[in-house]
Amino acid sequence: MADNSTTVPPHHHHHPTTSAHHSHGGGMDGMMMSMTFYFGFKNVELLFSGLVINTAGEMAGAFVAVFLLAMFYEGLKIARESLLRKSQVSIRYNSMPVPGPNGTILMETHKTVGQQMLSFPHLLQTVLHIIQVVISYFLMLIFMTYNGYLCIAVAAGAGTGYFLFSWKKAVVVDITEHCH
Amino acid sequence: MHFIFSDEVVLLFDFWSVHSPAGMALSVLVVLFLAVLYESIKVGKAKLLHQAVVSVSVLSSQQLTEETDQDSSASDSAPVSRARLRWFFCHFGQSLIHVVQVVIGYFMMLAVMSYNTWIFFGVILGSAVGYYLAYPLLSMV
Repeated sequence: MADNSTTVPPHHHHHPTTSAHHSHGGGMDGMMMSMTFYFGFKNVELLFSGLVINTAGEMAGAFVAVFLLAMFYEGLKIARESLLRKSQVSIRYNSMPVPGPNGTILMETHKTVGQQMLSFPHLLQTVLHIIQVVISYFLMLIFMTYNGYLCIAVAAGAGTGYFLFSWKKAVVVDITEHCH
Repeated sequence: MHFIFSDEVVLLFDFWSVHSPAGMALSVLVVLFLAVLYESIKVGKAKLLHQAVVSVSVLSSQQLTEETDQDSSASDSAPVSRARLRWFFCHFGQSLIHVVQVVIGYFMMLAVMSYNTWIFFGVILGSAVGYYLAYPLLSMV
């Protein structure tokens, strides 16, 4: 397969993104980003301006780092869910009378489960939510490099994280369903 | 970069280059099918989890009643490990399905990133059709 990561001119961000010929394509001159999947480890920019991968060893390190990031993302999702379930111990029941079919009065009960806005669990959930959003965008941007090794790292990390963390979650779900 | 209406696009892979309206229509159909598949995988995973939990709990409770009926003092490691092995296979299958879901989700994001409006419509329409077809199945037990 042709190496699509051609040499990028050092001041590439000054060039206009729409070139004279409008056709899109991977590996054309003037396009700084590859738009199709490729396997390579030369001159791969990863998220930040200082992070450039040039050797196979650096690519292996980046693979491991991305794999761990995807695993951490899955774990964070499961952790947030379990934290939410644990903190929702306040259940409010509101009963109100409604007229029944034969003129009788029936009691209709509403159950609301929620957190208080200024409580610590809710603040913790918010902080974890922001971290989760940032990590999910990072993973999206990593997948957007179209580098085959990094994309495989994201997918494998997500699968492994789901396998390891959701195992425990499913057991918890089983127990709580039987209690009701 | 902005959305454009165009009959030319290169989607995801080097060999998937579209030059004609017929090719574009076919690509939109493929992307639509991919979006429908993504939504149905989401529903399928939830249903599989529910089925696995139910079947493994039934299996373990059956084995426990067998143990008490037999009134044996042997260790109950064998039936517990059988249920646990079955749960392991169920969970491993679900993890594979999760990987497929993650990959298809990213492929759809990259398809939208081509900034081709037809492809974008295909993704949106496919998500709508997939949700419409798959989510009622979630409440059916």
